[in-house]
Amino acid sequence: MVYAVAHRVLGSHDLAEEATQQTFVRAWQAADRIDVDRDPAAWLATISKRSAIDIYRREARRPKRALADVAADDPALVTLPPDPATLDAVWHVRGAINELPDAEATIVRLQHLDGLTHQEIAERLGLALGTVKSRSHRAHQRLAAVLGHLREAPA
Amino acid sequence: MNDLELLDDLLAHPSTWAEAPPDLEDVVVWAVADAAAPMATSSRMPHRRRRVASLFAVAAMLAVAVVVGSVVLIGSSSKVDYAGKLRATGLAPGAHASVAITRTDAGFRVRLDARRLPPLEHGEFYEAWMKDPAGTLVPIGTFSSSDGRVTLWSGVSPDDFPTLTITIEPSDNNQASSGQRVLMGDVHRR
Repeated sequence: MVYAVAHRVLGSHDLAEEATQQTFVRAWQAADRIDVDRDPAAWLATISKRSAIDIYRREARRPKRALADVAADDPALVTLPPDPATLDAVWHVRGAINELPDAEATIVRLQHLDGLTHQEIAERLGLALGTVKSRSHRAHQRLAAVLGHLREAPA
Repeated sequence: MNDLELLDDLLAHPSTWAEAPPDLEDVVVWAVADAAAPMATSSRMPHRRRRVASLFAVAAMLAVAVVVGSVVLIGSSSKVDYAGKLRATGLAPGAHASVAITRTDAGFRVRLDARRLPPLEHGEFYEAWMKDPAGTLVPIGTFSSSDGRVTLWSGVSPDDFPTLTITIEPSDNNQASSGQRVLMGDVHRR
């Protein structure tokens, strides 16, 4: 989850690794400020977002090539990190994905990330179409429940 | 954006599915351990901080395990190039160790986390060796901690010397191995 949030902010595996490392070191250094009555995952999520954004800002200050030299699809042209609400959503959805049975997570990934239809997923995995549909339905119900949790969370 | 659109957007984004590399857990554990070392040895650390810090160390490692998914070890600022587990010999029942090796410009940094080594007698020390398949031994450093992390340096590559052994040595002006191996195991390229 920490890594996924960092990757969403930084768009780079190397920088996401650095942010993940920094997150846990910072958390350790702030261990005496943990409120043991609150959810430590939320605390870690906050540190994770801050670490990633700090690295994002550091990278943004590095000298860049002239804009004219940059291709239109160069990822460096993305100048703003995702908003905090989106990062919260990434955190929760990734957490929910981690909780899905592998078989359901695979179907959700093929459907959304790879853009396959249920029929194509069934052929790819060698499953009956009905099995794919039912697993997809169950997985989406669980994921929708995660967004419900986000809706109830304080801003 | 409504909830369903947000969920669709998140699920279609590669970052949501990004998998941390297997050795990242080790990077994090070592980095936290490095940060923790001065604190853990401070006698001025308040009791509550020590307690919370200890709890956090465990929680952090568990959290990392969840985050990263898979296993193993590394150095604080760079990736692990080789890693392995060392097993106890008959001289040290119950001992075990993990090793993580990072290639650097200066040589190979060997991070050894050894636990429950047998206590040393007066004048003895532990010595680590890299060994090649022909049995040639290259010493990579000495230490005296029977339970904890040490950093050693090797001038030979684990590609050529893939076996790591730990021996107990007497202070006898003999630079050859005593043969009293307490731990041994192979390291593998990551």
